[in-house]
Amino acid sequence: MNIGGYTGNILRVDLSNHETSIMELDQAAIEKWVGGVGFGAKYLYEEVDAGIEWAAPDNRIIWTSGPLAGSGVYGAGTFNVTSKGPMTNLAGCSQANGYFGAYMKFSGFDGIVFQGKASELVYLWIKDGKAEIRNARHLAGKDVWEMEDALREELGVREKDVSIFGIGPSGENGVLYSAIVGDRGHLAAHNGLGAVMGSKNLKAVVTYRGKRTFEVRDPERLKEKNKALFEHAKGFGFFYEWGTGGGFSALYGTGCLPVKNYTTNIFPQHERMNGQYMRTHFETRSKPCYTCRIAHVKEVTVTEGPYKGFVGEEPEYEQLAAWGPMIGNNDLGAVVMLTREVDRLGMDCNEASWTIGWVMECYEKGVFTRRDLDGLDMSWGNVEAVRIMLNRIANREGIGDLLAKGVMRASQEIGGEAADWAVYTKKGCSPRGHDHRGRWAELLDTCVTNTSTLESTWAGVHPQLVNLPVVSDPFSHEEVSTLNARFNGIRIFDDCLGTCRIAATDPKLQVDCLNAVTGWELDLEDAFTIGRRVINQLRVFNFSHGMKKEDEMPSTRYGSMPVDGPAEGKNIMEKWDRMIENYYTHMGWDAQTGKPLPKTLEKVGLTELIEDL
Amino acid sequence: MNRVTIELWLWLGKELGDDFESPSGMRSIREEHVEEGMTIRQLLGNLASHYPPIARTIFDTKAKSLLPHVVVNYNDRVISPHVVHNQVLKDGDKITVLPMYMGG
Repeated sequence: MNIGGYTGNILRVDLSNHETSIMELDQAAIEKWVGGVGFGAKYLYEEVDAGIEWAAPDNRIIWTSGPLAGSGVYGAGTFNVTSKGPMTNLAGCSQANGYFGAYMKFSGFDGIVFQGKASELVYLWIKDGKAEIRNARHLAGKDVWEMEDALREELGVREKDVSIFGIGPSGENGVLYSAIVGDRGHLAAHNGLGAVMGSKNLKAVVTYRGKRTFEVRDPERLKEKNKALFEHAKGFGFFYEWGTGGGFSALYGTGCLPVKNYTTNIFPQHERMNGQYMRTHFETRSKPCYTCRIAHVKEVTVTEGPYKGFVGEEPEYEQLAAWGPMIGNNDLGAVVMLTREVDRLGMDCNEASWTIGWVMECYEKGVFTRRDLDGLDMSWGNVEAVRIMLNRIANREGIGDLLAKGVMRASQEIGGEAADWAVYTKKGCSPRGHDHRGRWAELLDTCVTNTSTLESTWAGVHPQLVNLPVVSDPFSHEEVSTLNARFNGIRIFDDCLGTCRIAATDPKLQVDCLNAVTGWELDLEDAFTIGRRVINQLRVFNFSHGMKKEDEMPSTRYGSMPVDGPAEGKNIMEKWDRMIENYYTHMGWDAQTGKPLPKTLEKVGLTELIEDL
Repeated sequence: MNRVTIELWLWLGKELGDDFESPSGMRSIREEHVEEGMTIRQLLGNLASHYPPIARTIFDTKAKSLLPHVVVNYNDRVISPHVVHNQVLKDGDKITVLPMYMGG
C-alpha cells in the first residue's frame, strides 16, 4: 500500500455461511472513495441491486473507518455505517464517535462488509487481522449496556481494551428506527441501521484495541496541522465549554426549538434546560472519545428534582430537545433519565421523540384514549409514561407495535386529521431535533438528502469555513437553496475521514491533516469533488431503488407555518417547488426530475453510472 | 426620544458590567433612549463603541455591520440581517441579539 492511513484490508463477513474473508483495497478505489461514507457508497452501490429490500439477507451493512481514524488526529475514532435502511428503504448513512473507528484499524481493517443472515444471534470478534463469528444466544434481549458488560466479562478484557457496538432489544425486535449503540452511549442512529443488524441476527461487533500498523507519511506536518485543528475547534462556538447543549437557548431564541410536536414555539423554561444550566448545576465527568481533547462528551449525576442521584450520559442537544420541550417536559433530570432509557433500548432519539410527541398530541386531542394506549396517560410532560411507552415500543407490545414503525407509518395507519400532525419527510427520513420551520436550510437539506440525514449540514451557518458568503436572509427560498447546494459535498467528504465534526471543525485543516497522513496533496476543491461524488453515487442508488422526486418534501406539519414564536408566519411551502428546482439546478441535477445530469456525473468521476440512471 | 430595550443572550452579554441587568444570568438587558429616526445599525454601532465586548462579538464598527454567528430578533421575531440594519427604531421596541446555533 503506497498510501499512509490505510490498512488496505476490508473484512467481508458472510453471516449465512458463517464465513469471513479479506478483500484487498486497491489504490484507485482508495483515491476515489477515501473511506467512511465513501467506501459505504461504493460497496452499497456495487453489491445491493435494485429490488433488494432492507431486511433481505442480500442487503449489506457496511462499517467503515477513514484515513484519519487512529492517526493521531484528536478525537478521530469515528466510523460510518451504510446500508439500505428501513425508514426510507433507500440508502442510510450514519456516523458514531467513540473508539471503534480507530480500534478497527488497529485490528487490521479499514472496514467490514456484512452480508447474509445468521441462523441464530451472533456477534463478531476481530483482533490482530483475524475475525471470528461467535454465538450470541446469551446476549439475546440484553440492552446495550448489559451487552457491553457481558461481552467484556466473557472476553476477560478491561473497559478500554475493546470497542463494542451493537443493538438492544429494539433492534432485535425490528423497531424500524433502531440504532447501533456502543462505547457506552455513542450511536449510529439514522435510518434504522440497528434494525438491519437485527434482520441479520447480528447482535454486536467487538474490536480489540491493538497497535497501529498503518503508516503516517509526514508526522511532523500532521502534528502542526492537528494542533491548529484543535485550536480551531476549541475556539469554535460553545462546544468546548458547554457541549452541544450550549446552543439550546440560542435555538429557542430563533424559533428552532421543537415544542410539543410543533404546536407552539413558546418554551420559557429553556434557561433551566440548556447545556449551561446542566454544567453549572449537575455533576459532570468527562468521557472523551478516542484521543479527544475537546471532550464534549460527559457523564452527569442529576443533583435536583425527582431524578436526583440518577447517573447517565449528559444529554446532547438532540436529546435535550427530544425529551424536554418536544414532549412538554420541564425537568432536566428527567431528560437525563429518558436519554439513558432510549440509548439503553437502542433507538434513534429523534424518531422516538417525533413518535411520542405525536402520540401526546393525539392523546390531548382525543384521537387516542387511555384505553387505546394500554392504560398509559400520555399527557404532555408525563415522563414516566413516556419511559414505559418507549419500553413497549422496543418490545413491540400493544400500541408499541404500531409505534415501532415510526411516526410516518403510524400516523398514516391511524389516518384522519392525526395523519397531518406527524413530523417527517415523505421519504421517511427523520428530521433532527429542531423546529426546522425556523431553520430553512436544514428543512430543505433533510428533504433532499441522499444519506437519510443532514447532508449539507452547517450550510446555513458556517459557509465562510469554505469561502462561501453568509446568507443575508435565512428565509429566502432562493438564497437558502443556492447556498445549500454550493456548500454540499464538504461535510460528506468529512464523513469519509473518520473524524468527529465537533473535534475537527475546519475543513481546510482537515484536508491538510489528510495530506499529512496519506502523502497526497489535495485541496479544498478536491475535497468538494470527493464529497459530491459520494452524494451522486448515493442519489443514483436511491433512484434505482425507487426514490421519487415527489417524496422530497416535508409532511404537512413539518412544512407548516409556526403559529407563534420568533419564526411565526414564515412559510417555506409558499415557494417550495421553486426552491427545489433551484437546488436541483445548482446541484447539477435535472430541475424537473431531480436526477443527476450526465455532465454532473462525468464531472465527479462517475461516468460509469450514466447508463445505470 | 424613544425608549428601546436591548437584550443580549448567553455569552454575548459577558463582561458588560453593571450597565446591563442580568435577570437570569443568561440574558443581559439594558434600556436605551434613542433619537427619533435612529436605526438598529446605528444603535448597535453606538453600543459597540462604548462596550468593547460588543465590538468583539456582535458588531463590527469599521464595517458597520453585524459580525458572523449572531442573529438579531426585532420585537421577538427573527428578521434577516440586511433588514435589521436599516430598521428605524420606534418607542417600545425590543432588540434581542443571540448567538447563532453552531451545528446541526
